[in-house]
Amino acid sequence: MQNVATDENWKTCFSQLAPGLVLFARQWTRSAADAEDVVQEAFVKFWRRHHDIGNRGLLYATVRSIALDFIRRDSRRARREATALSDVDPTVPPAFDIKDDSQRALVAALDLLPEEQREVLVMKIWNELTFAEIASALEISQNTAASRYRYALAALKKNLSAAL
Amino acid sequence: MNDFSQLEDQLRKLRPAQPSADLVARIERALDDEVSTPTAAVLPRERRFHFNWLSLGLGLAAAAALVLFAFIRLQQPLKKTPSVASTSPAPTTLTDQFVAAGLTQVVYHTRDEGLHFPNNSEQPMRRVRSQTRETFQWRNPKTGATLRISYAKENVSLIPVSGQ
Repeated sequence: MQNVATDENWKTCFSQLAPGLVLFARQWTRSAADAEDVVQEAFVKFWRRHHDIGNRGLLYATVRSIALDFIRRDSRRARREATALSDVDPTVPPAFDIKDDSQRALVAALDLLPEEQREVLVMKIWNELTFAEIASALEISQNTAASRYRYALAALKKNLSAAL
Repeated sequence: MNDFSQLEDQLRKLRPAQPSADLVARIERALDDEVSTPTAAVLPRERRFHFNWLSLGLGLAAAAALVLFAFIRLQQPLKKTPSVASTSPAPTTLTDQFVAAGLTQVVYHTRDEGLHFPNNSEQPMRRVRSQTRETFQWRNPKTGATLRISYAKENVSLIPVSGQ
């Protein structure tokens, strides 16, 4: 059943999605290495079952589920995450290639977003999911997904203007 | 949404960090593991299969041990009967013991396995495999207590077939 075409398919699919998937996973894991572990486990699990990425909502739901399991799996890790989250910064900074100060300010403003708004923003902007796919991944309505996106942009704009 | 179009453009210019180079190789290895072990879904069945046979064997052994034990206990008073009869004239003392009260044998499945020539026999034999459940019952006439032992049994019968 396995053939070269299938092998190349997953590599093509994954290479397009990998940066966005890892960014998505980093919202919960904080460390890039942990995020990659989560993405690896999720993608392997997903590909074994579906052999294509037609249902992107389900792929992101898998990543999200495994990321949350990843945190719960190790109690020491969970405590460490909880301690880190209870510090000054209550959010998890996404990892970007920052080129200038304006982008640094943008990333800092992103960090201040509530988690539920930030995950919608990450899926929409850097993973190019539709609201229907986001709604499917997060098990919310499309209207809620769209609202969270608008709230995220509004909050981001406010955070940026406050920083200037 | 026009209010946010400029902000969305700024966000899209932010590029997520690329995942490490070995992530694809790790996923490839994980997917290869799946290919090399396609019996993953079969192995648990094999385990269940062995477990069932083990359970059946243990169950039969336990049942056999119980039957043997009960048989020995039932045989003991019979052997002592002459001496008891000679020392004690009261036969009523035997009533405070379990006595065999019944045996039921239920054939719940029979399968005709066709004609065979056992031990190079020239005459064909029809092999019939039947599964039965035997139940022994003992009763204590004095207390009214009953003891019942039930176990499964499989019989293979060879029935000579006469040719014409």
